[in-house]
Amino acid sequence: MILTLSSGEMEVVRRVLGREPREAEWKLVDALWSEHCSYKSSKVFLRSLPSTGPNVIMSVEDWQDAGAVDVGNGLALVLKVESHNHPSAIDPFNGAATGVGGILRDIISKGAKPIALLDMIRVGKLDEKGKWLLRNIIAGIGFYGNSVGVPVVGGELSFDETYNDNPLVDVACAGIVSKDSIVPSVVKEPGLRLVLAGFTGLDGLGGASFASRKLSGMDEIGAVQIADPFAGKIIIDVTLEVAKEVEAIKDLGGGGLAVAVTEMANGLGAVVNLEKVPLRFKYLSPEDIIISETQERMLFAVKPERVESVCSKFREYNYPCEDIGEITADPTIRFQYNGQVVAELPSDLLLSPPLNVWPAERASRRREPGREVPLGEALRAILTHPDLVSKEWAYSQFDYEVGTSTVVKPGQADSAVVELPNGKYLALKGDANQDLCAEDAYECGKAIVAEAYRNLATVGARGIALVDHLQFGDPRKPNVYQDFIDAVRGISEASKFFSIPVVGGKVSFHNEDKNGNPIKPTPLVVMAGLIEGKLARNRIDEGNLVLIGETRNELAGTLFSRIFGGGGEVAKTKLIEDLIASNLVIKGINEGKVIWNKDISKGGLAGALLPILTKGFSVKISSSHVVGTSSVLGKMFSENGGRFLVLTSDPQWFMYQAGRMGIQASAIGKATRDGGKLVLDDETFPMDSVVENYYTFLEGSL
Amino acid sequence: MRTAVIKFPGTTCELDVVKALKVVGAQAEVVKFNSLDPDRYEAVVIPGGFSFGDYLRAGAIAANSEAMKGVREMANEGKLVLGICNGFQILVESGLLRGALLPNINLRFVTRWVRIRVRRKDTPFTGESKDVLFMPIAHAEGRYFLDDEEIASRLAVFQYVDERGEPSPQANPNGSLMNIAGITNEAGNVLGLMPHPERASFSSISPDGSRDGLEILRVFGK
Repeated sequence: MILTLSSGEMEVVRRVLGREPREAEWKLVDALWSEHCSYKSSKVFLRSLPSTGPNVIMSVEDWQDAGAVDVGNGLALVLKVESHNHPSAIDPFNGAATGVGGILRDIISKGAKPIALLDMIRVGKLDEKGKWLLRNIIAGIGFYGNSVGVPVVGGELSFDETYNDNPLVDVACAGIVSKDSIVPSVVKEPGLRLVLAGFTGLDGLGGASFASRKLSGMDEIGAVQIADPFAGKIIIDVTLEVAKEVEAIKDLGGGGLAVAVTEMANGLGAVVNLEKVPLRFKYLSPEDIIISETQERMLFAVKPERVESVCSKFREYNYPCEDIGEITADPTIRFQYNGQVVAELPSDLLLSPPLNVWPAERASRRREPGREVPLGEALRAILTHPDLVSKEWAYSQFDYEVGTSTVVKPGQADSAVVELPNGKYLALKGDANQDLCAEDAYECGKAIVAEAYRNLATVGARGIALVDHLQFGDPRKPNVYQDFIDAVRGISEASKFFSIPVVGGKVSFHNEDKNGNPIKPTPLVVMAGLIEGKLARNRIDEGNLVLIGETRNELAGTLFSRIFGGGGEVAKTKLIEDLIASNLVIKGINEGKVIWNKDISKGGLAGALLPILTKGFSVKISSSHVVGTSSVLGKMFSENGGRFLVLTSDPQWFMYQAGRMGIQASAIGKATRDGGKLVLDDETFPMDSVVENYYTFLEGSL
Repeated sequence: MRTAVIKFPGTTCELDVVKALKVVGAQAEVVKFNSLDPDRYEAVVIPGGFSFGDYLRAGAIAANSEAMKGVREMANEGKLVLGICNGFQILVESGLLRGALLPNINLRFVTRWVRIRVRRKDTPFTGESKDVLFMPIAHAEGRYFLDDEEIASRLAVFQYVDERGEPSPQANPNGSLMNIAGITNEAGNVLGLMPHPERASFSSISPDGSRDGLEILRVFGK
């Protein structure tokens, strides 16, 4: 197994211990000090994210497995996002499936019932390898989510060659728990028994460390975990059954038992008797038991008198459950095998790796001047781009109806909406924008928060919490590290502006292609919101088209510039525009003025028109009414924020209200039922082949 | 009707079914797979999911469980037995219904809202039903097959149909023989179907506000 500790870090360990560590101890330190588990290169900056608010119950600073906010009636919403990028690059089916399993266990660790999943997938070009990756990623997510009965209610699917070798597989999960029944991940008192449910096997050895370096190109399949959703379903059902009987719950994820025990002890100590660990494979060495990342295992801290009751509930399903040790007052983490010490290290050493703040330098971004692109060619390229086509091929493989609470389903709107047990409607959306982030990670950090906020507004919801996932290349590269710092700054600024607490997050570094080039920076946010008034049903019909917001000729960092290069200015996010425009849309929804609406994002105004065109309608646009720039390409393809496209029968209402609020709104055209055409001023663009491509591209390619 | 909703390890839809059965006024409760007492209930529903992970073949392990002996006893006594999705798979695997449910023709899991025509109204489940029902499917193994088309035609209760109500090839989501979506036994008291009536029982989550699933579930409220 490859260790990822640096020689400097190894020196620190030797110095603190005053001796040469045992082999198992190196592995233990390697797992806990991995970037994946310790956030050693990111923690300093993550502190700048706003993590508090009147509705926050549990947040980042608690370093729990997931964040939680109050959603009324005594209920808490638990939210978490995570990626499984490296495992999915090597074994896309199991990598993606175990990503789902892992996030579900984070949610149940809080005693919360998982109610919805989102998946945000980014792959490269659709050659043989790309198709293999995508087919298996989608099948793997479906395999796990469907089997355990948690609906995948929404997500993203984007194609960019930056992800050819390193796909991004992000999954987010929302769960619900009664506020006073949230279970902590950490203990506060010694004497509790450590109870482990589930078999430990050979898979996923050193996975946390594997995730914390670039893909080596060598055979690393042993670091990938194997998914067993049936076991996952049992562990979900039984964990929720025993949640009220235990003092703390921790999922065994990256770093296996090593990390779970150390983090649960949280500064106290622990003694673990490794011979008690139920094994799937008899001859597993004590060292491997400590760092195995076999899925479908949970660790519980239990009062001694309750151990039998907890384990009996697992045994009812023939699921292994054993008392493997205890929490001690002595702050030492001790793993022993039949009384023989295998590893014995101070808790404090394991939990406090030296933090890294790497040199950072902003890359100079030179943009070649783009060629003159004829409008027809640009429209065709944008409107047939795989990022904008129907994703039914993917989401139809997910059981998005299980739970009988999916109100707005995949493909119906910019946000998914699920009904909570208290009758409220919860909106969920994940957003990232690798094009903009590659140009300016700070503007992009702001923009993705603003986009998520707008996306929630399209169904009538206001954001209440977000979680982020920060995906970059190797942090030791100054340009990569600067992008990371910039993105955090942008996300932090925007979430403060909208007063939306960041209640959790993850960092994934070392996402690179096989030549060592970093992926485009891809921070991602998942926002949750509540619908306070009416839910927008968003059914496309004939009506007037109103464009809310100002269109600026900012084509750098857009889908247009990804395809055609060039692009001029980078969009500068003016958060106040996003806030006011969202207010206007929500007001319009509540006053019954909105037939259908969509925020303007990928593909610009043209991209926003596509859903109308594909539902058998024609669209007629008068370009002079798109205000803010004289460039037709800018009008059609700029992706600057603060804008919505609304179908309404009362355009005057929007213009009047916008004027009162201090933003732009103009009636730019009409949608009519005589399908198949986009008419821009005097020019008519037939859309039949665009519409056909929309429905058949993914099905035909895969 | 006192109705048992069986939960096998891996069943995912038991709470959804109970929620829908409550709408029609049934006395429904979840019963764990190892504690079904057939004499306590007048009807039983086997909900969807992935019983025992569907690891051998969908429904195969559950079909050989102790619980299914109880279900068979209930079926033989003329009590109502409804299998939804994985429950339908369990009923064919256990021989309570004829035929088999093969992997979908495109070998993929599929979720979709479909229309099904009610071909037989002489069963207790469909006696007062509308002609065409709108419901979602969600399965990987729902391709109904029986090597005798005449029997299949006689037992078929539901058929996938298009918007004009025709059992066209385009309306067939999984390659089922004769677009069959659900069948009954000879006596008519055992029904299995792939679409999920419990997911079409609440107007808030139905694409058009309809609640067609209640047409089938209503009988449990009697």
